[in-house]
Amino acid sequence: MAAMALVTAARLLPLTEEATVDDAKTVDLQAIVRDSNVTEVLDQLDRELVGLAPVKRRIREIAAYLAVTRARKTLGLEATPPSLHMCFTGNPGTGKTTVALRMAEILHRLGYVRKGHVVSVTRDDLVGQYIGHTAPKTKEVLKRAMGGVLFIDEAYYLYRPENERDYGQESIEILLQVMENNRDDLVVILAGYHDRMNTFFSSNPGMSSRIAHHVDFPDYSQPELLSIAGKMVSAMNYRFDADAQQAMGYYIDRRLTQPNFANARSVRNALDRARLRQANRLFAGVGAGRPNVTADDLSTLSASDILASRVFDAPDSADKT
Amino acid sequence: MMTNTNQRLTQGQFSFLPDLTDTQITAQLDYALKNGWAIGVEYTDDPHPRNTYWEMFGNPMFDLKDAAGALMEINSARKTFPNQYIRVTAFDATRGVESPTMSYIVNRPAKEPGFGLVRQEVDGRAIRYTIHSYATDKPESERY
Amino acid sequence: MSNDAMTSDDKQITDGKKRYASGVLKYKQMGYWQPDYVPKDTDLIALFRITPQEGVPADECAAAVAGESSTATWTVVWTDRLTACELYRAKAYRVDPVPNTGPGTKTEQQFFAYIAYDLDLFEPGSIANMTASIIGNVFGFKAVKALRLEDMRIPVAYLKTFQGPATGIVVERERLDKFGRPLLGATTKPKLGLSGRNYGRVVYEGLKGGLDFMKDDENINSQPFMHWRDRFLYCMEAVNKAAAATGEIKGHYLNVTAGTMEEMYARAEFAKSLGSVIIMIDLVIGYTAIQSMAVWARKNDMILHLHRAGNSTYSRQKNHGMNFRVICKWMRMAGVDHIHAGTVVGKLEGDPLMIKGFYDTLRETHSPQCLETGLFFEQNWASLNKVMPVASGGIHAGQMHQLLTYLGDDVVLQFGGGTIGHPQGIQAGATANRVALEAMVMARNEGRDIWNEGPQILRDAGKWCTPLKQALDVWGDVTFNYESTDTADYAPTATATA
Repeated sequence: MAAMALVTAARLLPLTEEATVDDAKTVDLQAIVRDSNVTEVLDQLDRELVGLAPVKRRIREIAAYLAVTRARKTLGLEATPPSLHMCFTGNPGTGKTTVALRMAEILHRLGYVRKGHVVSVTRDDLVGQYIGHTAPKTKEVLKRAMGGVLFIDEAYYLYRPENERDYGQESIEILLQVMENNRDDLVVILAGYHDRMNTFFSSNPGMSSRIAHHVDFPDYSQPELLSIAGKMVSAMNYRFDADAQQAMGYYIDRRLTQPNFANARSVRNALDRARLRQANRLFAGVGAGRPNVTADDLSTLSASDILASRVFDAPDSADKT
Repeated sequence: MMTNTNQRLTQGQFSFLPDLTDTQITAQLDYALKNGWAIGVEYTDDPHPRNTYWEMFGNPMFDLKDAAGALMEINSARKTFPNQYIRVTAFDATRGVESPTMSYIVNRPAKEPGFGLVRQEVDGRAIRYTIHSYATDKPESERY
Repeated sequence: MSNDAMTSDDKQITDGKKRYASGVLKYKQMGYWQPDYVPKDTDLIALFRITPQEGVPADECAAAVAGESSTATWTVVWTDRLTACELYRAKAYRVDPVPNTGPGTKTEQQFFAYIAYDLDLFEPGSIANMTASIIGNVFGFKAVKALRLEDMRIPVAYLKTFQGPATGIVVERERLDKFGRPLLGATTKPKLGLSGRNYGRVVYEGLKGGLDFMKDDENINSQPFMHWRDRFLYCMEAVNKAAAATGEIKGHYLNVTAGTMEEMYARAEFAKSLGSVIIMIDLVIGYTAIQSMAVWARKNDMILHLHRAGNSTYSRQKNHGMNFRVICKWMRMAGVDHIHAGTVVGKLEGDPLMIKGFYDTLRETHSPQCLETGLFFEQNWASLNKVMPVASGGIHAGQMHQLLTYLGDDVVLQFGGGTIGHPQGIQAGATANRVALEAMVMARNEGRDIWNEGPQILRDAGKWCTPLKQALDVWGDVTFNYESTDTADYAPTATATA
């Protein structure tokens, strides 16, 4: 690639000759960033995810680190591949999966993984039911993830200290081995709740020591969730009327305080139910002598579609997430 | 010891070339994956030319995106059976093929004893031929 | 071109009394020209290249060919009226002038005539019957100066009445346990004069050196210098000894061609009893004999190799006879597993695109119309097995990159002279070919541009493989650059679009 042409150092120098690398030699870092189009991915992340400022900052930091590491490698300053395994912590619906997809793309564009696909799994995909079942299952998943990113959601379920014969431990050991030996071949991202992840790491120091980057995903604020709702509604080709917009705000206020809140996921579920109620409202209208509906009617969610939610019934009877 | 050109079993696509390096194997695996073929790893201690069913080192691998997964399996097979024949087979599921499309050896025993030809003289000048794998004179898993 | 060269005013006579009055009518008047006819899926369609006699319009000429290859005779017969003659009449439905023929060119005016035949005109599963209709009489017909059968669309309904290749490419590879590369063969040389014992020596050396197959030549049958039984016995000793020496399945195409079916069966049985995986026949034994041998081969787990001996007597000239692609179609139906189909780069006739057309005809499950490669019709092969093409004649290791590019993996590359003529002996010659092949396949799979890098890839392999280096030194520069006599006739704005 073009960046290589600008590299003036002998890039094939082995690390043992590091001392002989001329400090004055230069590498065009900007070209590495430009040619990999990595900023495009970062911008996309900015656009498609509302809020999450600290996450976006972390991802930019990691991207910068990856680009610099590549530049260092070009100049012979870096020999062993960096450990790139990550941990994304945060509550459900805070964008971990989406960010993992973008992360895979960044890793791919900067040349850290060859294919850039994401294989997303949970404990059930890795751990078997009987003796001899787990290793092939875990290996099968690892083989499919090679060249890309293995995203393990709720990774702490792999470890069940209450059952000493749990096969999860076997899976963890295989994972660890591959995370160590196949750094060039895949990046593992563990994901889950912050506190449970910490517990998991404290009982699995081997895993903890192999995770180079921790990214914490904060919950969304009320205005962010409302903005997310707006984006989702227009992506579905619907819109809020003025009252509905306000009702959605109330809804989020209430829902935030109730159990099982899952951030963007709860917003999406609420909207799905609002669409059901809207359909029901239009349908009832036909019976009530309003047989013709306009395109506008078909795509407008009104306040009543939202305010009918059970969230408003009682302070503690939650709309299901 | 075998006395043919390379003094070795010449089954497979690349037996006349020097042993494949992991980099070369990776390139061949990539070729198979690019064509959408599944990859199987098989091993045997009886390389008779009509021993069709070598043991499978796990099921063929479907849905791989990258060669590293298959290479990991190959290396794991080599570690488990360092002194047996190991071959990589690619399978094409396309209608009209539905059969292997690649096959090459990636591991061999240190010594390849080869085969003898047993001739049974029958009517006239005719002979019934049997190819005998010297390795099979010993019981399974004690050969090589 | 003037209009009258193309069409005449004679209309089909529909009044029964006039139509069947005794006497001679034009073929068009008799109803063999039906420009509005839309062929049915079950129709067999033939495409002829017609060179009309002076003064005979193209459509009358096409109608005449349709008539003579179906129900017509030279005069009107009332007995037609006892039959559903409309159905049995072949229908010429289209004529197109052949591009680059006629006034202003070196070639006299020719036409492509499309003729549709109803399925009921043919006996199920009989190449002999089909060909007796389509090419039975009409090629000597006076109304045409010359006539060539260019292509046929065989309906699925008719294909389903044929066995097809006894073994097919897929099962052949499974039986031989050879995948992912072309197979290698060589014809035993000299063709004539070797005793059985000497002959088997050549076979053993070639196979042990690395070839998959050795082969009898087309005219090796049972001559004074070598009785067939001796050949079979010594060849099978060679085959089995080479198989034991290499651990690979090996074969020798034992040519069972003989004067009678009985004798061919006897030879085939003997080959089977000796454990041969393959036998061979020549095209000159005739279509029915070929079909019979294909049935025998399937029943006896035998691969059936066909040498196209004699085909050039009628397939080479462009204006008369039949195109080889038609032979390819018939042989796939008749049931052979191998057929010699050209090398592109060797000593025998073959334009690259035409040969691609032959290879596609033999190897695809479905081939779309492709005028560039001479395939005038879409052809669905109705799950008939695929035939392995054989490239034989004047090819050598130095052309490996070209052969692999042109011919692909499913082909037998036959290096006769290129094996036996090697300065270090037959085994070395075989090894050179096998190393060249494997190195080239590996390079291609690695994504290298073998068309351009091929010579370098071979030289690099020659650095560690002396036999290959020697082969390249001897033959590296040998080429056969003659102009092809048979190339596609199509204008970029194609006239043939049926």
